[in-house]
Amino acid sequence: MNLDLNGLVTFWARRWDDILELLGEHLTVVALSLLIAMVIGVGVGTLVWNKPLPRSVVIAAAGVALTIPSLALLALLLPIFGLGWIPTVIALVMYSLLPIVRNTVVGLREVPPAIMESALGMGMTPFTVLLRVQLPMAWPIILTGVRVAAQLTIGVAAIAAYVAGPGLGQFIFQGLSSLGSKNALNFALTGTLGVVLLALVVDAAFVAITRLTTSRGLRA
Amino acid sequence: MSVSTSTSATSTVRRPASRSSEIWSLKRFVTPAVVLVVLAALLLWLSSLTLDSIEVRTLNLDYIIARVREHLGLTVVASALVAVLAIPTGILLSRTRSRVLKGIVLGIANVGQATPAVGVIILLAILWQTGYLTALVGLVVYSFLPVLRNTMIGLQQIDENVRESAFGMGMTQNQVLFRIELPLAVPVILAGLRTSLVFCVGVATIATFINAGGLGDMIVNGLKLQRYPVLVTGAVLVACIALLIDWIAATAEDVLRPRGI
Repeated sequence: MNLDLNGLVTFWARRWDDILELLGEHLTVVALSLLIAMVIGVGVGTLVWNKPLPRSVVIAAAGVALTIPSLALLALLLPIFGLGWIPTVIALVMYSLLPIVRNTVVGLREVPPAIMESALGMGMTPFTVLLRVQLPMAWPIILTGVRVAAQLTIGVAAIAAYVAGPGLGQFIFQGLSSLGSKNALNFALTGTLGVVLLALVVDAAFVAITRLTTSRGLRA
Repeated sequence: MSVSTSTSATSTVRRPASRSSEIWSLKRFVTPAVVLVVLAALLLWLSSLTLDSIEVRTLNLDYIIARVREHLGLTVVASALVAVLAIPTGILLSRTRSRVLKGIVLGIANVGQATPAVGVIILLAILWQTGYLTALVGLVVYSFLPVLRNTMIGLQQIDENVRESAFGMGMTQNQVLFRIELPLAVPVILAGLRTSLVFCVGVATIATFINAGGLGDMIVNGLKLQRYPVLVTGAVLVACIALLIDWIAATAEDVLRPRGI
C-alpha cells in the first residue's frame, strides 16, 4: 500500500477533533503516571539513599519492573484491575520508578558532605537539610530521571491501547484492525507520528522545566 | 591489552585476587532463583485449577514449547543481525571526520527512540505484509539504534591520550582500532547489546499482532477468549524470559569486560 499524502491531509482534517482528544488523553495519562511515580520514587529514594542494603534492593526491584515486557505487564495487571485507565497508569508508574528512584539516590549522594556538614553546623535539623539543601541540589538529576521516564512511558502508553487504555495507541490499533482498507495506513501513521511528536515536545518541555525549577545558585 | 592498562590514567593498580570469584558471587544467582520460584508458583497454581477444553488446548507442553521457541528464535536472530549490522556501522561512522553526519545519525537515533515499537511493527505490516519476516525487520530496525549509538559513544569516550600514545608506539590505524579502541569500548557496546536484547523480547511479544507467533499469542488469545490462566501463563513466561536474558547479558558483560577496566 502506498502513502497518499492528499488522503492523509484529508484524513487529518476530518478527524482533527479525535486526534486532539487522543493526544490530550495520551499526555494526561503520562503526566498522571509521572506525578504518581515522582511522589513514590522521590519518597522511596530519600528513605533509602544512605542505607546500602535497602538501596540496592529497591533499585534491583525497580529494575525487574522495567525488564518485564509491557504487553506482559499489562496482561498480568488485567485480571486484577480490569481494562482501561487503571492498569495503564499502574504499568506506567512501574516503568517510571527505576529512572526516578535511581536518579534520586544518585542526586542525593552527590551532595558534597562538607555542604551537609555546614548546614548541620548552622543548626538545621537533618530533615531541614534534606528539604532545603539536599533535594534542591539533587533536583536537576531527579528531573533528568523523570525526563527519561517520560520518554519511556509515552511509548509504552501506545501499547496500553490494546487493553482499552487511553491515547494515540487507539489509532495505531485501529490501523491494524482495518488492515487492507484505505484508512489503515492513515490511522497507524497518524497514531505513530503523534506519539513521536508528543515525545519530542515533552522532551523539549523538560529542558524548560529544568531551567525554571533549578535553584538559582546552581544555575550560574 | 597491557598497553592500555599501563597507559590509561584511570586504570586501577590493585586488582582483586580472583576475578571469577567476584563475578560468580552469591548475588549473581538471585535472578535465576527468583525466576525458578515464580515458575514453580505458576505450575502450582495451574495444577490447582480445573481447565476447560479451550485452556487445555493451549496449556500443554507442546504448544508452550513451540511458542517459546518462536519467541526466542525471533529475539536471538534479530539481536544477532543487529550486532552484525550495527557495530560495524558504528565503527565506520566514528571513523568519519564529518561532525554533521555524526550529528544527523545521533539525532535520528534519538527520534527513533521516541518512536513506539507497536507503531513501527504495525506500520510495516500495513505497508508490506504480515508475518515472521516483517516482525524480524521491525525488531532489527527498532533495536539497531541503541547498539549503533553505544558503539559510537563507546569509541568517542576513549581518552585521547591513550590513542595518542598507541600511535606514538608505532601502531597503525587498524591496530589502534582493534587492540586499543574496541577493547576499551567493549563495556559500552555490550551495554547497548543488552538493551537491544531486552527490547527484542518485549517487541517479539507484540509480534503476535501481525501473526508472527511467539508468546504474545498466549496473551492475546487469553485476553480474547477471557481465559485468564492462558493469559497469565503467557505473560509470566515472557517476563521470565526477559529477566533471564537480561541476566545472561549482564553476566556476559562482566565476563567479557577486558581486564584492567
